[in-house]
Amino acid sequence: MKTKLATITRNKKGQPASTEQTVVAETLRIGRGADCKLHLSDPRIALLHAEIMCGVDGVSFVEARGGAVSVEGRFETAATLKTGQRLLIGPFEVIVLPPQPDVDLALSVELVDPLKDDLEQVKSQVKAGIKSTWLSKRLFSWVAFATVLLAFLVWPVMNALDRSHGKEPVKIAGLTADASWDVGPLSSAHASFGSNCGACHQQPFVQVTNGACEDCHKKIGWHFALDTKEAKAVHTGIFGDTQCSSCHRDHKGPNGLVRSDATLCTDCHKNLKSKHPKTGVADVAEFTKDHPPFKVSMLIPGKTGPEALVRIQQDDKARYVESSGLKFPHDVHMSPKGLRGPDGKVKMECKNCHTPDETGTRFKPTTMGEHCQSCHSLEFEPKATKRQVPHGKVADVIATLQEYYAQAALSDAPIDVVLEDGIKRPGARTAETKRQAGLTWANAKADKITQELFEVRVCFECHQIKKGDANAEPEVRWQIAPIAITQHWLPKSRFPHSQHDTNKCDSCHAVTKSKLSSDIAIPDIKNCRECHGGNVTVKDKAPGTCETCHGFHTGSPKSGVPPILPGSNQPKLMLKAAANATYLANSPTAKSNGTGGASQ
Amino acid sequence: MRHRTILEYRDYRYLKLAALIVVAVIFAYGWYKYPVGHYGGTPLGYTLGTIGALLIVWLMWLGVQKRRYRTTGDIKGWLSAHIYLGTSLIVVATLHAAFQIGWNVHTLAYVLMMIVILSGFYGVYTYLRFPSLMTENLAEDTLESLTLKIADIDREARRLALGMSDEMNKAVLTSIKETRIGGGVYAQLRENVPNCPTTIAVQLIKARAGTVKGEEARKQQDLYGLMLRKQRLVGRARTDIRYKAIMDIWLFFHVPLSVALLAALVAHIVAVFFYW
Repeated sequence: MKTKLATITRNKKGQPASTEQTVVAETLRIGRGADCKLHLSDPRIALLHAEIMCGVDGVSFVEARGGAVSVEGRFETAATLKTGQRLLIGPFEVIVLPPQPDVDLALSVELVDPLKDDLEQVKSQVKAGIKSTWLSKRLFSWVAFATVLLAFLVWPVMNALDRSHGKEPVKIAGLTADASWDVGPLSSAHASFGSNCGACHQQPFVQVTNGACEDCHKKIGWHFALDTKEAKAVHTGIFGDTQCSSCHRDHKGPNGLVRSDATLCTDCHKNLKSKHPKTGVADVAEFTKDHPPFKVSMLIPGKTGPEALVRIQQDDKARYVESSGLKFPHDVHMSPKGLRGPDGKVKMECKNCHTPDETGTRFKPTTMGEHCQSCHSLEFEPKATKRQVPHGKVADVIATLQEYYAQAALSDAPIDVVLEDGIKRPGARTAETKRQAGLTWANAKADKITQELFEVRVCFECHQIKKGDANAEPEVRWQIAPIAITQHWLPKSRFPHSQHDTNKCDSCHAVTKSKLSSDIAIPDIKNCRECHGGNVTVKDKAPGTCETCHGFHTGSPKSGVPPILPGSNQPKLMLKAAANATYLANSPTAKSNGTGGASQ
Repeated sequence: MRHRTILEYRDYRYLKLAALIVVAVIFAYGWYKYPVGHYGGTPLGYTLGTIGALLIVWLMWLGVQKRRYRTTGDIKGWLSAHIYLGTSLIVVATLHAAFQIGWNVHTLAYVLMMIVILSGFYGVYTYLRFPSLMTENLAEDTLESLTLKIADIDREARRLALGMSDEMNKAVLTSIKETRIGGGVYAQLRENVPNCPTTIAVQLIKARAGTVKGEEARKQQDLYGLMLRKQRLVGRARTDIRYKAIMDIWLFFHVPLSVALLAALVAHIVAVFFYW
């Protein structure tokens, strides 16, 4: 087979130049190999890439050998060659030229995909530097900046504006955006505000005002009573600029709102006298060391106004005596042998008379009707009747007795048990003379029993009774001492009995051997120190910081309340009575119904 | 004279300054008593917060300084200050927060700041460790000169392989056309490139040793030598790119996160005073 090969090269302008040669071979071998007649020196060509042969019918055909051959765009393993056909052998384009004389086949060969320059090739495969990748500091920075600012500034501010316009802000997963501004959980007292930030933070960029607190805390007390000009001046001097939020910082967890650190108190109280010489409060720095003995607040019977109450320090033995106006020996009542009761023997316990109040903090008032009268009956003629004299004014007692005996003397109904001669007989009508005699008897009898009640039994059993002029009217012949039962002995402290109820009462209150009602059974500071440490933690002891017992806002915002009664723990009735200065203004008999805890 | 690192700049001038700040801040924190305890809103808390915020802004300004070529003071001094004062921020900010954390924008700012600082520590580590490794790896060369050498080898190897078997020729051609050096983020950072065409070619030539004789065997021996040299050059070029990438990549976190920190800082400050 004789083949004409036209090798086409191009100059820089792309103009072709052709070099022709004619090769004769049985088979036209195409390849990189030295033995190939169509020698294509390129690494992309196989040693023997393809072969072109002439068939018996004179038609030439190509067969792929070591490499791929594309005929008119399609890879073929073998194909018949036709004029104008375009073959791709590696990077070479081979075109079948029109038949020419003297040759069996004419082909043009051109390198259409030259190898890159080696340096270019290597450079194209080197990619160095993170900057050349998709990572971008600028892009990341903008995205991060915008994301954080939108999520944590713009959106929360929009939430806040929504709220200030009364709109409910959008929530996602139950959270509003300004939840991300929340510095910590609210105190348990404020937890119900939830995400309503504006309840306290009423104006943007303005600190929470006292007004915001006082919207709810209307009745909060000052630190001490501002009942005098001087007290007001001192208060202003100390607390003038103090904001609620100076001490009460919220967002510090359930118990974080109220300060319990010792310095709250001791900063001033450790040397209070040097700053305020007129103060009646002793210097104290530490409960276990220099806390003075307790001062009890005791009601004084028969006094009015501020004098109705005195404070007596427990070590003031001469004055530390109760004068309630009653006779009450605890030892008799608490006798282990028991007492004679209406239904037989009774062994009394503390709780029989001292029943805890609703909060368990202290005790309900002990009253005649509820706690005493079942044993201390006011029956005046127990053999004849179950009737009792009223627990009230002397005159009422006398009237009751006179009515009773007159009725007994004059009644048609027989009174078999009254056996004195001449008064009446069964079934008989009473004649006028006899009526007169009966009345005389009744009056004498009433007088006698009255005297008995006030001087020997019943009233006399519990009351201190002064006997007056024997010739005076019966109503003024006996004077019952005024009564004042102190209900809250330590109103400046808080002592929850309920939190101490694992102890027996007598472990603090030594009453079982108390013979006199003048004994005061309020435990002293030593008793508390047995279990409680102070501001400084003491090993094996319960805490005893100032705040364990004392409150801060125990002064009243209202003037006119006696400074001795500032505590919100004070029973209302007592507070009111003392404040109005009407307490015991009338004789104790004026309060006869037994509802006033302090009066009975 | 021994080379002095950025850490030793001017006899540890900024280490001393940072240590002074840290000691002063710790002392103040220990000495200062506030009725309701330490937190960001006490006078000391506000002071520490202000110091911290100013430090953050100033440290970020370094980024701007580096971009401008006309800088006040030399860049080493700025960098030394950046490192030490940045580190002191850990103490300043932690005491400002008084060790309180929560799921909020305030802690977000703190956490972002800590990540930025820790990524900065990694940056310092790379600045101290990798330049010497790079010098060791490149010796007299540069990435550019390595590329030139590889191209020379490619040309020679291609010429030699033309007369060899298709298998051998193809392996060499693949090595020339497909040996990637560097590339994407991961490609630049990874130490070993699996299925590297150059390695495959080296292995192939080694495996075919002894299958040919005479002149051909000698040529094959030459080709083996060439490809082996190329393999080493490619390895060094890749190592160089890897070191550079390691020294660069942390900045792609450090910078955007510090910008995020700036945003969180603004949100933190606005939030605190919005609901004061």
